[in-house]
Parts: sequence; structure tokens; C-alpha cells
Amino acid sequence: MLQYDVVIVGAGGAGMNAALSASKDSNLRVAVLSKIYPTRSHTGAAQGGINAAMGFRDPTDSIDKHFRDTVKGSDFLADQDAVEFFTTYMPDIIRELDYYGVPFSRDEQGRVAQRPFGGASSPRTCYSADKTGHVILHTLFEQCLKNGVKFFDDWCLLSLVVENGKLEGLVAMDMRSGEIHPILAKSVVIATGGFGRIYWSRTTNAFNMTGDGTAACFEAGIPLKDPEFVQFHPTGLAGTGILMSEACRGEGGYLYNNKGDRFMSEYAPSKMELAPRDVVSRSIELEIRAGRGFGEGMTAHVLMDLRHLGKEKIMERLPQVRELALDFESVDIIKEPVGVRASCHYMMGGIHVQDYKTCATPVEGIHAAGECSCVSIHGANRLGGNSVADVVFFGKYAGLGAKETAQNRSLGNPSLVSAAANEWMSKFSRMRTKTTGNNLFEIRNRMAEAMWYNVGIFRTEKNMVQALETINELLEAYQDTFIGDSSVKYNTAFIHYVEVGNLLKLAKAVAMGAIARKESRGSHSREDYTERNDAEFLKHTLIHKEGDLYRLDYSPVKITKYQPEARAY
Amino acid sequence: MRTITFKINRFDGDRAWTQAYDLNHEEGKTLLWALTKIREEQDPTLNFTSACRHAICGSCAVRINGHAHLICKTSLDEILEIYKSDELAFAPQANFDVVRDLVVDWRPMTERLETVKPWLIPTEDGAADTGFIQTPKDFHKIASPTDCIQCGICASECEQLAENENFLAPFILNRAYRFAVDSRDAAPSEHIRPAFENDLWKCLHCHACVSQCPKGIRLDREIAYLRQESMKMGEVDNAGARHAYAFHDDVQSKGRLNETTLPLKTEGMLKTMRRIPFALRMVRTGKLNPLHFPKAVNGIDGVRRIYAKVKGGKK
Repeated sequence: MLQYDVVIVGAGGAGMNAALSASKDSNLRVAVLSKIYPTRSHTGAAQGGINAAMGFRDPTDSIDKHFRDTVKGSDFLADQDAVEFFTTYMPDIIRELDYYGVPFSRDEQGRVAQRPFGGASSPRTCYSADKTGHVILHTLFEQCLKNGVKFFDDWCLLSLVVENGKLEGLVAMDMRSGEIHPILAKSVVIATGGFGRIYWSRTTNAFNMTGDGTAACFEAGIPLKDPEFVQFHPTGLAGTGILMSEACRGEGGYLYNNKGDRFMSEYAPSKMELAPRDVVSRSIELEIRAGRGFGEGMTAHVLMDLRHLGKEKIMERLPQVRELALDFESVDIIKEPVGVRASCHYMMGGIHVQDYKTCATPVEGIHAAGECSCVSIHGANRLGGNSVADVVFFGKYAGLGAKETAQNRSLGNPSLVSAAANEWMSKFSRMRTKTTGNNLFEIRNRMAEAMWYNVGIFRTEKNMVQALETINELLEAYQDTFIGDSSVKYNTAFIHYVEVGNLLKLAKAVAMGAIARKESRGSHSREDYTERNDAEFLKHTLIHKEGDLYRLDYSPVKITKYQPEARAY
Repeated sequence: MRTITFKINRFDGDRAWTQAYDLNHEEGKTLLWALTKIREEQDPTLNFTSACRHAICGSCAVRINGHAHLICKTSLDEILEIYKSDELAFAPQANFDVVRDLVVDWRPMTERLETVKPWLIPTEDGAADTGFIQTPKDFHKIASPTDCIQCGICASECEQLAENENFLAPFILNRAYRFAVDSRDAAPSEHIRPAFENDLWKCLHCHACVSQCPKGIRLDREIAYLRQESMKMGEVDNAGARHAYAFHDDVQSKGRLNETTLPLKTEGMLKTMRRIPFALRMVRTGKLNPLHFPKAVNGIDGVRRIYAKVKGGKK
């Protein structure tokens, strides 16, 4: 049986930085499992940048301003002790990444360049053109190679084995051989990213962002925190939902409706296009609803105009964005405006982390970092540039936390972990031979449709209850689905079956949390409860899964310095 | 209704075969759309990898009619137009081991990647708690090479790699280059030497990698740079360097090559002797005249002035 001191699941920014931290104790055996090759991870898709109050571009910027902006951006749902910790030490992370070799764009003095971003009171987003996540991901991979980190590529997490609130081990499939392995571990770090694929095609997320680690934690008894907070990025390409970086607005891009007006003046007169994502996304949708968009139905959009930036600035700062608009919409942003519309981008909610310094969850031995987790530093709405920051930052502290946990725990019970693996083996062999049942892709697509139309940018009780009913039906239908591939080796049909199962559970939690939160806060925008209601809802949602029962309760928000106030931009 | 036929190389770990799938043509779609549609509507056993669908993760490189493309960003209509055919052949990337269908094994390539120490060897000008100062000009030297998404297309296209396992795939040479030119790196030779020792001079200059690179990285220029640097490191006594010197010297003195002495200068007398049968065939077909010692070309003064200028400019 495989045995490791620390097992990290996921090899994006959080997972690889966790691996580097955990490996600092050379006596520990550390392994990283990833369902894809590490440099394919979704951290690489992050474009615009990474926030840290370096004060290079604006000497008046400060850690406190970053702290305040993040709390205000979160609509006061972020835990302020965690945000303060995060903003205080982020500048150290930038220096460390620089030392690792991240090719940051530079200012005239050779310092890391910074740009303005939505919801930020100073230009503090450090960047490398518009491929910041890509270069950070590759640099962390290089550091992992340098430090001899052991990777298991094409290994998919199936479940976490927990007994009496303590980690025993995990079960994973080696996709290439098709073997299912029980793995003993003293501690694990879950770093599997978000689950934007509950909206399937209306998302900027990669195909594999299916919340495997989040769902495994949910099944293992760790609650999901604040799942109802889903970020819709305002500028997805109209046709495909592919991301046009926030750097477009950061560098000075305009948004126009079909009247030729910069409509953000109606919604955020002082910040204009640089309002936070939730505000801009809602504004775009309202313009489209009022008939001031272009096109109709799923292809309706507004225009983003970058022409006034000039060719030189576009080529220097937004080269990837230009390529994407050319490749996917046949639009050259140097010459014409491009159609954009909001697209699901990020999950503020996730695995309940209860100690922000170690990223420990309520289950002893399990830590979580990155988008899969909810610390919470993003609250009801994450600021652009705080996600890659979160990933690298909490990846580091989760790795250190898991190292310490492993130093103080022994390996779990092999027979429990084997039994869990055996269950998966039977399931795999059953699914390989089952040839009839409900169509898996239809189940997935119906889920996405229900979520997009009913638990999307604007929400009402009636619509969400309908979505929840649909999800319940689909969970039922999922029990009798089939995969149509009998192979043992590299059976992606089976992996997709596992992924859709994960998405369904998480979609249900999103809908439940959203129905119960009878207020509008950050990204959660209800047409039947249009105001924020601090008296009743200044608290975190926690959804527990106990067998087939989903139970909802709440936990308090940590407020240290900034009392809730009206959030205007 | 126009039908497009996709003939796909299948492999299940033991057995290999070709399978044809038909799709109704739809305008404005990508190759990834086609494979996804086949998998979801016709054959769930078809395996390929893809993730981000916007050309940044590097998962989805596949060979179409022999050439590797990132299928997420490649337009179906453009490919049909290029080949003037409604039948396309899909195959996994060349120069990789196949896991299943269009899925390839990256482990051996990763091991090869490690030979060039693909990580920053930091100078003493920086530290983990201070970072570095790097000029915008120095950043620009690494901007393009760090665009590499490690999709493997250059490796699939590489004619040298197809014949010579010792050669490093172009993306690996790119990684060596990326650190060799980084102002923060203390030891460029640590990245360059392994490239040199793994047949750096065997690159054929065929430009297949450059022409297919989805990020437009000038791998050819990078390889030229690595070679020059290896010569500066003293690696001048090898066929590649001698060949380069022979070109340099011939053109400087005569404005053109002397094809008779070129192999002598490159490979020495002994090895050149082994090529006599080949040389004789060339003589017979009129490709080579061993008695011809070319005179300097008209305008040789101009050539020499160019040399002087280039050398002066370097100082």
C-alpha cells in the first residue's frame, strides 16, 4: 500500500506551493496527485495579476488599504483576521516568487510592475503582461522539479477516508493503468480548484474544474462554506465565455451599450469600469435586459473598447487577450471593440477552513488551499488579482500546516482505507459493464441549464427552488446512468462520471445556500430581497452532508477593524 | 448537408486501429468542438485531453494530417480550407509514447526536461526576502520564451527528435535559453552545457517547430544563441562548431562556400574519408567539382565590410 507523510491533491499554484513548503522537512515523504499534468492546471489561465501592497507604482498604497479594499469588496463577509494576515504577508510572497524566477513585468526602476484593478483604491496588481498565472504556475513547477517533488500525474482523487473526525487516508485512481489505490497519509492538502463547471458551458473555467477535492471533503464530513457566492466575470467573450482579463479594464478599457454610452456611469459613477466584478457583471446584464445590448438570447452582449489604448500598449500589456479575441471572435481589439458578457468565473465558497494560519479544516489531518477552499478572505465577492494571490499564499501556509500535522500524527488504519478502495473498485467494474441507463451528458447539461437560468447572476426564490428540484431529480437520475466505456486503462468516461457526480452534489449546496440567504450581498443578488441584511445574514453559510441529508447552518463572521457600511463605488 | 469525416488513430494499450466518424459540418467551429461532439454523441470511448480551451494549458495538441495543432484554437474551417478536403486524419503527437487514442505520456519528456536544470539559479543580487531588480529590457529577453505552454507541438514536429533520442525537444532548449538569458540567473552555462552535450548542433534548421509553435516562439534563434554561447564557453572543437567556423571563414575570405574543404574542416580527414563514396556520387551527378576552388565573389570587399561592421558592433 502506498504510504506518504503528506499527500497533496492538485498541482496548480496552491498544490505546488504547498508541496514546496511541506518538502522543507526533508524527513517527510511528500507526494502530489494531479488528474492532469501539473502545468495544465487552471492557475495558468489567470491573466491579469496578483495583488500585493508593494507600493511601487503608488507609494501611498499600504497593507491597510489592501486589507480595507478586500473587506469592502467582500461586502463585509470576509473574516478580517484572515484578510489582515493575507494582506500583511503578500508582499513577501511576491519577493519570493521573484526569487524563484517568475518573469514579472517591470517598472522603469526594475521593480515588479503594478497596474490598477477593479475595486482597488491603488494600483497594486503585480503582473507579467496578461499571463501572470501562467508564468507563476510554470515557475512553481520548475521549483518542484528542482526540489525533487514526487508527482503522480493522471491520478484522480476518488475519496478521503475519515473515521471519527480524523484522516485515515485517501483513495485515488491511476488513470493510465486504471488501478485504484488506497493511500495512507498523515496529512493531506486539498488544492483541486473551483467548480465553475456546474454552469458547464457558461464559464471561464477549464473542463476539469469539477470540484473533486471539494466534493470529497463534503462527503467526508467537512462542511461547505458560503457556496452560494459565485463570481461572474464581467468580460467573458460573447460567443464562448472565454476570459478577457480584468487587465482590459485595469489598463483603461471602456464598456459601451448599443446607445454608445459608457453605461457604468449609471451604476458606479466614481469607479466606472473599475468597479468590482459583481457590480460590473450585474450592470452588463441589466443593460442587456433593458434592450441596450447587442444581439439576442445566449449571444446578447455589450462592447468592450480598447482601441484608445493604442497598439503599443495593447501589444505590451494585453498580448494574450488580443490573440484570444482574434482566435475566438475574429476581432482585432486594436481595430474594433469586442463583444463581452458575464461568465461564471470563480467560487468564493468552498471547503470550510477553520484555521487560516494552517488552512486546517474541522477534520484532523485535512488542510485545504486555493479556490477549492473558503478561508474566507473573499467573502461575498472576490477582488480581481486576489485569487492567484490566495492560491500562492495559502498554498504556502497549508503546506507548512500539513508538514506540522504530519510531524505530529501517525499513519491511519490500512484496513479502513483498503475497504474504501475496494468499494471504488467494485463501482468501477460495475460502471464498466453497465450498458444502459440515463445519458450522463444530458444530466450534466440539464444541471448547467438549471443553474445558469435559475441560480445565476440574478436570483429569486421561485427560480432557485425550481433549480433545486431539478438538481434533486438529476441526482436521482445519476444513480442509473452509464458511461459506455468498458476499458480499464485511461477511462476518461469513468472519470467524467465521477466529476458529474461531484458537480451535482456541489450544485445542490449552491442552490440551498442561495435559497436560504434572503438578502443581496456581493455576488449573491436577489430580486426578491434586494438589500443587504446584516442583522440576519452577516454570517457564513455552512452546509453539511450527512449521507443523503444536506443540513444547513451558519457561523459568525470575524470582524476586527472595519464595521459594515454601505458599499458604493 | 456537408459531412466531414474524421479518421482517428485509436489505441487501447494493446491494439491500434483507425476509426472514421462523420459529423455534419457547422461553420465557425474548432477542432476541439469536433472531437468533443464525437465523444459526447457517438463514442464515449474516444480519448483525448483538453482543459482550458483557450490555448494556455497546452493539453490538447493533436496531429491533423501529420502536423500538430492545439485543437482548441484551431478553426475547423481553416483546416478544411488548407487541405481542400472534407476528410481529416487525427493522430497523437509524434515522438511521444501513446497512452490511449490521442493521449500521450509526458513522463519521459519531463525527465529529459530536467537535464537542462529548468529552474533559476539565482545570482547574489537577489534574495528570497528582497526579490530582484530587473530592467524592463532584461524582462523583455525572457518575455517570449516564458510564453511556452509546454504543449509539445515542437517536439512532435521535430525531425531531429524523430531520428535521435539524444536530442532535446525544442521546448526543452527553450527552457535552457530562458534561464541562460535571464539577468537573475547566475550560471547560464549550467543550462547551456547540458543542451550542448545532448546534440545541440544536430538541429536541422528545418523550422518545423517554429512554424507550428502556437505562441510564435523563435526556437531557431534561441538554438542559434545556445550554440554561440557554447562556443564562447570553449566548446569549439566539435563538428558543429567547426562547421560554423568553416562557413564563417569561407564566406569571409571568398564570399562563398568551398564545398570540397567544408567536410574536411567540419569532420576532419578521417571521417571525411568515409564519405568518399558519397562524394563520388555527388561528383558523378555534377553536384560537386573537387577541382574547383572558388575565387572570391564580385563585391568581396562589401562582404568583408559587413564582417567588420558586425564584429565592431559587438564590441
